Amino acid sequence: MVDAARHPNIDVRTYTNVERVEGYVGNFKVQLREKARYVRADRCNGCGECSKACPIEVPNYFEMNLAPRKAAYVPMNQAIPLRYTIDEDACIHCYKCVDACGSLEAIDFSQEDKFVWEDIGSIIVATGFNHFDPSVIPEYGYSRYPNVITAMEMERLNNSAGPTTGNLIRPSDGKNPERLAIINCVGSRDKRFNPWCSNFCCMYAIKNAVLLKQANPALEISIYYMDIRTPSKGYEEFYDRARSMGIRFIQGRPSLITEDPQTKNLFVHSEDITLGKISELEYDMVMLNQAAVPQPDVDTVSSVLNITQSPGGWFMEYHPKLRPVDSPTDGIFLAGACQGLKDIPSSVSSGLATASRASRILHSDEWEIEPIIAQVWEDRCVMADGKICGVCSRACPYGAIIIEEGKAASITVAKCHGCGGCVAECPHNAITQMHFTDAQVLAQMRALLAEKPEEKIFAFRCHWCSYGGADLAGTSHFDYSANERGIRVMCSARMDPDLIYEAYRLGAGAVLYSGCHPQDCHYITGQKVGATRADRLQKIFEKLEMTPGRFRVEWISAAEGDKYARVINELQNVIDSIPHDQLMQEIERLRPEMEKRSRRMYEIPGIAKAVEYSDEMKRVITAKEVKSGA
Amino acid sequence: MEHEKGSALRDLLIELPGCEKVDMCFSCGTCVSRCPIQQKVEPAYNPRRLLKMVASDMKQESFSSITPYLCSACDLCYTACPQEIHISAVLNGVKQLAIETGFTTPLKTAKVDAQTCVGCGFCEKVCPYQAITLKETNVPLRGKNLLIAEVDAGKCMACGTCSSICRSNSIELQDRENSEEVLDSIWSWFETAEKGIEK
Repeated sequence: MVDAARHPNIDVRTYTNVERVEGYVGNFKVQLREKARYVRADRCNGCGECSKACPIEVPNYFEMNLAPRKAAYVPMNQAIPLRYTIDEDACIHCYKCVDACGSLEAIDFSQEDKFVWEDIGSIIVATGFNHFDPSVIPEYGYSRYPNVITAMEMERLNNSAGPTTGNLIRPSDGKNPERLAIINCVGSRDKRFNPWCSNFCCMYAIKNAVLLKQANPALEISIYYMDIRTPSKGYEEFYDRARSMGIRFIQGRPSLITEDPQTKNLFVHSEDITLGKISELEYDMVMLNQAAVPQPDVDTVSSVLNITQSPGGWFMEYHPKLRPVDSPTDGIFLAGACQGLKDIPSSVSSGLATASRASRILHSDEWEIEPIIAQVWEDRCVMADGKICGVCSRACPYGAIIIEEGKAASITVAKCHGCGGCVAECPHNAITQMHFTDAQVLAQMRALLAEKPEEKIFAFRCHWCSYGGADLAGTSHFDYSANERGIRVMCSARMDPDLIYEAYRLGAGAVLYSGCHPQDCHYITGQKVGATRADRLQKIFEKLEMTPGRFRVEWISAAEGDKYARVINELQNVIDSIPHDQLMQEIERLRPEMEKRSRRMYEIPGIAKAVEYSDEMKRVITAKEVKSGA
Repeated sequence: MEHEKGSALRDLLIELPGCEKVDMCFSCGTCVSRCPIQQKVEPAYNPRRLLKMVASDMKQESFSSITPYLCSACDLCYTACPQEIHISAVLNGVKQLAIETGFTTPLKTAKVDAQTCVGCGFCEKVCPYQAITLKETNVPLRGKNLLIAEVDAGKCMACGTCSSICRSNSIELQDRENSEEVLDSIWSWFETAEKGIEK
């Protein structure tokens, strides 16, 4: 940390909040709130005289509230930068610190929070994690029994710079414990609190046990565990070492801790599941290895930076395997446990990865983006005629569309990721998406539904999930109806209602509208845009008295090949269950209505090309079919 | 492809109410160490093992185990279970399936002496588990047929309430020959309890 602070290219801003982030990759404008320290950083030399003079003592959060600090304080001796801060909430304004500071005149009670704007090229989020508060688990008695402590409290008690200078004592009587129990999975792997495994606690329990045993070999240590997880290099060997040092491992999750009111000793009740017997052992001290949970202010951070969260409150990466440190917004990267729980080696690797990803942006004058961006036909946008619209801007998950009264909507190209939500939402067909133009999609549809369309199941698949699902169904050799005809668009948000009406106008037997599960969407809220539209469409088709089941909405992930096959087969069953002439009658009955609803699509510039494309495609498909048929 | 529904114990069980999460058990032992029956009544009682037996499709063993029959559904384990499995419902489900398959309880149950039972129906009224019903016999009595009590072994929890209310001493717990023995055991319990209080 000292190295980082001294580095000429690193500017460490402590006691500062990020208030607003505007702009896009390479050109962010960030508003910072520099909180008032009431100490002038340029004058303070860190001598600590103010702290000595200060009469107010409050619990020190850094010491897990086991030791006090003054109202004029630094959180710890190694703090960077070593500049004192006055805690305004605790200060009684006696001004003794001002006298103690003397001729330096560093203390300035007139300071106020300062707001500054900075130009930033790329942003790395490394907000870390928080600790679960075990006092909400009544059976473990944390905060009721003095000798039940958390892992972080143990960390301070066992630290030579901590409040007891590394002497492990019982909070109840100050004696050294002789028997210590460590309980794993407190609040993690527990559906009542946090369903996830906190990743590093097993190793952390073993590390603490080994350190304590080294300092005091007479200390009896038992670790209660459900499973010991030692997946990384050297971890299993470390576990072996702990066992060979005489640390006891008891498999079984304690259900209750009780206390002897006189001695304040603790009884841990558990089933030793390897023996199948109840054990009720007495200890002097119990350490709860509590779960790691997201920071309490993740929601603020995600709304300021426009990044999403995966279930549980961890920040969502762009791709869990291939782009694990990128956020969905270009130029913002995720390091360490804020993205998902990591131990120290993994956190360091993800930190180094983000640094290299971020410096790529800083070192390039140009930035390549995906070519599938949206474009506005300015003459078609009604905003240019002074009307009020803005539908596209509301659909955009990235805030890339700028709406100004009297001007056509304009797209910030660097922010656009090409989900196509605005294209489908625009009621005036004034936006198109490169490489997924309406003409191109329409051409594919016309080609695929050219012959016997009433037998066909037409599937709209999203690029990231459902297309992968269909692919997996094929590579896994799952049987599904050969009448399925699918096309790929980038997101369920791109599945234009016009296109769906057009599919029915062309006489499709059934239409599948498929995309990612809500939490997996690669375009932040693209799936939500698609889902709302799908609900609307379903209601419309209900009103038109279409046979239920001919329009199907399913969220299928890339891992759900079996589901894709099942859904297609179910759609085939729906088509089979309707007598052919009845189906034809229904298609004919609905055709004028569908034509009315999709007619505006034919006003789109360049749509005439679709016919041309589709003829070409039909030729290719027929050639293929003849080939495979032979 | 999706898991085919079969006749495995787990498949039968998962259809029953409250048993949806039967697969979720990861054998942490919290239920067992929380259980008052395991600690105060019967050390062989072990819901964790029963769930493991269900997972391994050990039908014979699960149906003849005493665990499903002894559970008092106090649900202390349900509130403590990290996987939120409704263990008492699962035990009840296993019991139901066992009785449907033709197994009877391995526990002692109340037995009716048909020779002395007069069919007064007191036991039927007091039974907290609704295990006793009156059944018509073909013995005529005052123009009607004689009724005698019948115990459903699957429901009986051997609490002895029926036995204590019976005026003709015709209903007894199976392995207790006479009520004096029961009284003795109650007295001996009181004595130990008194000693404990004096201590």
